[in-house]
Amino acid sequence: MSRYVDTFNIPADERAVRMEAVYKSFGDFTALREIDLTVRKGETVVICGPSGSGKSTLIRCVNHIEKHDQGLIFVNGVELKRGNVDRVRRDTGMVFQSFNLFPHMSILENCMLAPMSALKMPRKEAEAVAMAQLEKVHVEDQAQKFPSQLSGGQQQRVAIARALSMNPKIMLFDEPTSALDPEMVKEVLETMKRLALEGMTMLCVTHEMGFAREVSDRVIFMNDGQIVEVEQPEEFFRNPRSERAKLFLSQIIH
Amino acid sequence: MHVFNVDAFLGYLGNWFLIGGVGVTIALTGAGVVGGLILGMGIALMKMAEARPLQWIAGFYIWLFRGTPLLVQLVVIYTGLPQLGIKLGAVESALLGLVLHEAAYMAEIIRSGFLSVPAGQREAAWALSLNGGTVFWRVILPQAFRLMIPPLGNSINGLLKATSLASVISVEELMRRSEMLMQEQFLTLEVYAAAAVYYLALTTLWDLVQRPLEKHFGRFVQKKSR
Repeated sequence: MSRYVDTFNIPADERAVRMEAVYKSFGDFTALREIDLTVRKGETVVICGPSGSGKSTLIRCVNHIEKHDQGLIFVNGVELKRGNVDRVRRDTGMVFQSFNLFPHMSILENCMLAPMSALKMPRKEAEAVAMAQLEKVHVEDQAQKFPSQLSGGQQQRVAIARALSMNPKIMLFDEPTSALDPEMVKEVLETMKRLALEGMTMLCVTHEMGFAREVSDRVIFMNDGQIVEVEQPEEFFRNPRSERAKLFLSQIIH
Repeated sequence: MHVFNVDAFLGYLGNWFLIGGVGVTIALTGAGVVGGLILGMGIALMKMAEARPLQWIAGFYIWLFRGTPLLVQLVVIYTGLPQLGIKLGAVESALLGLVLHEAAYMAEIIRSGFLSVPAGQREAAWALSLNGGTVFWRVILPQAFRLMIPPLGNSINGLLKATSLASVISVEELMRRSEMLMQEQFLTLEVYAAAAVYYLALTTLWDLVQRPLEKHFGRFVQKKSR
């Protein structure tokens, strides 16, 4: 199986994320091997592949939730290394499969904590920012409740609002709909779609092939810790090049 | 021979000497809780630290102080250490023993509380670029503390009763004072029954404190409103 080779032909000032020969292992298990990837500003990239292929690890390396072992990662031109982690995290928002809202804080407090604590925003201003984001994802009327009082779909939309309250330049989505009941998937995907149309740079690990087809600019297929294919979505779905991708698609599209 | 002298029993319940002992018992417990929490937090952090030697030291500490009876620890401190030139008064010895002993238990309770907070909470906080202090104080500790309250309450209940062992090294707390009164008139059952009532009252009071604490720190855990 041949590895995808990034040509790095996107001009430097248009690069949101650049990974060069990135490796990551957990003990004996190599989660990422020789990852080369450039993501253009404003682009929506969907990362798919079988479980254990390294998709989540890849996007978790972008904001240093996982530390890469080798190679270089640049986020908006800033190299991800000691001393720069905070700068990179301020530019990136992340949405998790399990929402990870802070259960002991109200919805509003969830969205106000980081702007007040990390950006030193005054309370009034942080509240206005948080409320504006909650309105955008249509959960403003739940602002005073605790996360446990909301549905899964509402919680995930709050998680998106919480990340957006920090005004990030890049959003990372780690299987945002995988833990949701089927009838709640759509409301979260709609929110993500709107965000993509607004021009947000997005890296989404997802099995939602409809979303990939409709919204993404490029689809990345991973297997065994490597990027195997990077394609326009129509091309990827119509004519996957690798046998592994063909098998994968035949198994997830019914 | 009498069976049970109710008047004497009631008299002991209102006996200021005994009530003073209750005060000493409360003070010993309070000091044990505060000292145990502070030292226990340190031991717990050491056991969760990445440096192996710190883990070993914490593990050894817990093994030692949970593995030996408090009574033995108290006697060693009060009557054994002077042999090494370390002389502590009875009250100091009791405080030291109670704190050292309680810290071993509290360390494990604190550690389990922190371990029970899902890793995703920390990751979400990092992703929001919160600094280490905010992650600890605002995100992790409130959630961990809720989980610690029931076992901590249990441990404090145990400590309250365990302070009675300090009577052996002549600290004049509730139990010791009961013994002193007993030796005056030999109304054994009456005086110890009064002591038991006092202990029961103290543990009941503690229950009454613990319950609202649990409720307050667990207020975010609730069923969906329908």
